[in-house]
Order: sequence, then structure tokens, then C-alpha cells
Amino acid sequence: MSHESAEQELIRIPITVDVPYRFAAGNYMSRFLIELRDNGKFFGIRCPSCGRVQLPPRIVCAPCHVRNEEWVELGLEGTLTAFTVMYLPLTDPTTGEPHEPPFTYGSVRLDGADSNLDHIVHLGDEYDSAWVGMRVRVVLRPREERIGDLSDIIHFEPLKGQEKPGK
Amino acid sequence: MKRKVAIIGGGQTRHAARRHDVNQVELVNEAVRAALADAKMTIDEIDAVLLGNMEFFEGCHMTDCWLADGIGAYGKPGLKITTGGTVGATIVCAGAHHVASGLFDKVLCIGFEKQEEGDTGAILSGVAHPLFGRSMAGAAVGYFAMMGSSYMAAWGAKEEHSAMVAVKARQNARKNRYAHLKLDIGIQDVLNSRMLAYPIRMLDMCPASNGACAMILSDEKTARDRCARPVWIRAMDTAHNEQFEISWRDVLDRRPKFSTTCASRIYRKLGVADPAAYFDVFEVYEPATWAELQWYEDLGLCAPGQGFRLVEEGKTGIDGPMPVNPSGGVLSTNCIGASAMLRVWEAALQIRGDAGGHQVPKEVRRALTTGYGGTNWTVMTALSRDPED
Repeated sequence: MSHESAEQELIRIPITVDVPYRFAAGNYMSRFLIELRDNGKFFGIRCPSCGRVQLPPRIVCAPCHVRNEEWVELGLEGTLTAFTVMYLPLTDPTTGEPHEPPFTYGSVRLDGADSNLDHIVHLGDEYDSAWVGMRVRVVLRPREERIGDLSDIIHFEPLKGQEKPGK
Repeated sequence: MKRKVAIIGGGQTRHAARRHDVNQVELVNEAVRAALADAKMTIDEIDAVLLGNMEFFEGCHMTDCWLADGIGAYGKPGLKITTGGTVGATIVCAGAHHVASGLFDKVLCIGFEKQEEGDTGAILSGVAHPLFGRSMAGAAVGYFAMMGSSYMAAWGAKEEHSAMVAVKARQNARKNRYAHLKLDIGIQDVLNSRMLAYPIRMLDMCPASNGACAMILSDEKTARDRCARPVWIRAMDTAHNEQFEISWRDVLDRRPKFSTTCASRIYRKLGVADPAAYFDVFEVYEPATWAELQWYEDLGLCAPGQGFRLVEEGKTGIDGPMPVNPSGGVLSTNCIGASAMLRVWEAALQIRGDAGGHQVPKEVRRALTTGYGGTNWTVMTALSRDPED
């Protein structure tokens, strides 16, 4: 084979890896998801040492390294601590499809929790009207459509009657 | 440390959006050869080889296996490590531990990413808890965008401040022949660039680069015998956080986090009272502009909430009193597996006086570098011209 060529041809080979996984939710997350599915409720767990209420519930408080036992029912309303308006059609890895941009999502501190839950914030046409500190309420699928997954949450919606603080 | 550790050589590839001309082995081999040439060593003299990248970004796990020839690891001891975006610095840290232990004298450390070969966003989603938040499809840009919204709301910073960081980075990169995004841009160019995820625009965000970096660490005797200007690793630190608890998205969260925990520990190890005075140059890991402002605060270069004032006042420019990322930083070059190592290598070049066009115009005795991984890890490394200083 000749080593002489004006340009070396460069080959790139497309390969798609399609791998199924099945994650065990474990003791704590299973109970959290069952409460969400069956009762439409959110539960956090309180550390017996530092007292913080963790979401999702988990076996050990990381800084204290003690076992968590005390389940705490959280509110269905919360406060937006950070948000973004996504303009890119990034793939949702749980569905293989993108959410249609633009869409707003953020980190919500549910009343009673010390941790945040990230989800879509439904603002309709006013997708850029969110602000840090906005009060929101969770909107769940009807009971018969819930499967025990975070997708049982449709989105958060803003509580009525609030105004963005003036500039 | 049981023994002193020196950086006695290193090298990097010219980082680029497209490297169709090389496969992963060939890419890494370029950096390895450059480092060996810089240290005037042969691969036979290397005692161990450490390799890092983002796991599965290129669709091959056990990269130490399929890259064994290109990295020079044939027959040698070594490790592959993956710690997310901070892996390049973890490799240096692990290499330093190997040398400091007394068990190895000369260690080759390598970080790389051939980013174009995979789908970064899709694989990055795998860092999230599988059942809690993975579906938001925000990727890194979404995460830093949330951080930006929190920062602006908390402190009154404006999108212009983000643009100032973006301009500083790419103008510095124009002076760095290895950098990927050498852009002659101004504030308005940034503000006119396409919005990706509010408030992050195209020019506020790091690129995806293909590239590699390699460094050679040695014990003191080898450094004295073989290296004209060794750079000494004086201290390192790393800390883990709970992934879904403490992150940069809520800038008002006062709980100890990876960045502040490591900074306070490394300062304590070295007796640093005022980091802005102690260190002459900083190379921080900033995947987005807002992250750089937060690094200023978490490293104690200014009070909380004042990071945006530092860049506004030009204090962190290449000719400023506390230059940050004269190399152009991650905002200009992001081959993720190499990026945190490039911070250490660029800081070493500054101390050696070898940074060329992007050498800061003042005496450089000491430097501090940080890494960042989406798992909210960092590895911080303090370098010095003098092993006792």
C-alpha cells in the first residue's frame, strides 16, 4: 500500500450504545415513591443529630454519619431557590426525547425540607417570568396515572397573587 | 508530606474542537511525548503511569487498558482514576502521593478527553441520582445557569459581570498558543451571543475540546539532578460533598462545601492568612463564568457577594494584583479529563516563567489551582518555586 497521498483519508465510525438498567430504589426511596404514588404525599427524613430534613429520604445523614429514622411529611408548596430557562433541546435521559424548549425549571425548597427538589416550573407563555423566591405548588398526575417515579409530578406552578419584587 | 514532590516536566496538545486526525491513543501519546521531551527523559525511566478522564465519555471504560501503549504503561505499575471534572488534578494528587510515599521516584500523570467522540450531555446525566432529578435534561449548562440566577438575585450582579469574565478568559486565551477558543471579543459580543439557558449565553460557557495534558512528578533528588527549574507541590486537598444537598446552585447556602472546606484546610496547612497576598497567580476550574466569581469568594479573595466587583475592577486580569486564569481557563479550553491538570500545569509554567505570551508580568513564587467536578468535588494544589516556601 502506498504511503504517499495528498490527504490521508480519516474514517470515523458511528456506534450507538443502548444499555438497559434497573435501579433498586432501596428501602428509603421506595417508601418515598410509594407515598407519592399512593397518597400524593412527599416525605423527608430528619437526622436525629443535626435535625435537618433531607429529601430524598436516605439511610444516613452524611455529615453526622448517623442513621435516619424519623419521617417528616412535607408541604406541597415551596420556594424557588434557583431557576433557568432552557433554550436547548437537550435529551431527557429517562425518555430519550427532549423537553420542548423554551422551558423553565428550578430548584424548589418544599415547606419543611432542608433540601431541594428540581422540576419544571410551568409558566405558560411567560416562561421567563420566574424569580428567585417565587412561591410554587406541586401539581401531580391523577392517582391512576402515577407509577412511583418523579414523573408523577407534572410540574410546579406559581401560587396566584404574587408579584416579582421590584428592581 | 514524607518526601518533597516536584513537577519536572510536562506537555499538552493544541486543544481543538476537531481532532479527526487522531484516535484516543494517538492523542494521548502526543502529550506524553511532549512531557518526556520537556523533562528530557525516556519512558523507561518512568516508574508508574496514572491516567484519568471522564468515565465513558468516549464509550470505552478501562481506558488504562486500551490506551496502555500510548500512555507508556506497558509493563509498569499504574492506576486509572475517574473523579469527574476534577480528575486531572486528582491524577496529580495521586501521583504526588506515589512520590511522597517513597515508593516511586518518577511518575507520569496524564489527563485527556476526546470529547467529540461521544455525547457529553447524555453521559453527564449519569452523574445524577438515577431516580431523583436526572430527567431535568439541563446538563452542565443548566446547572450553571441556575447558579447564575441565584447569584444575580442574591448579590445584584448583572449579566454584564458574567460577560466581563468571558471576555477576560478569551482575551487571555489569545496569548496561549495551546488554547482552544482564542476569541477577540468584547462585552457586547457576549451579550449578543445566543442564549443557551438563562442567564448563560453561548460565550458565557466553556467549549467542548479534544486534548490531553501530561506531567512528570519526581522526588527531590531526581529534581535537583535533572531539572533546571523544578516546581514544588507544597500542599493538596480534596473534599467530598453530598451530591444532591450542597451545590453551587444556591449561593446563599452557608454550609461547608467542597470549595470552602478545601480552601480553609489548605490555607491552614501552609499558614496562609491572606490568599490574595500569599499566592501570585490562580488557575481555577470555571466551566462557566458564574463559577469563577464564586471561586473568588470561596477562595477568600474577597468577601461573599463581592466576586463580581473584583472582575469589574480588573483585579483578576492578567496584569492585575491577583491574576486568575491567565491561560484562558476552562472557559477557553475544556477537554474535561485534562482540564483540572491543565490548571496545575499552567500554574507550573507561570512559576517557571515559561508561559510565553500569557506569562503574568510580575514575579511568580507561589500559585494555587483548583479543580471542579459535577459531583461537587475539588482538588486544590498549592505550588511554589521553593520547596520550603
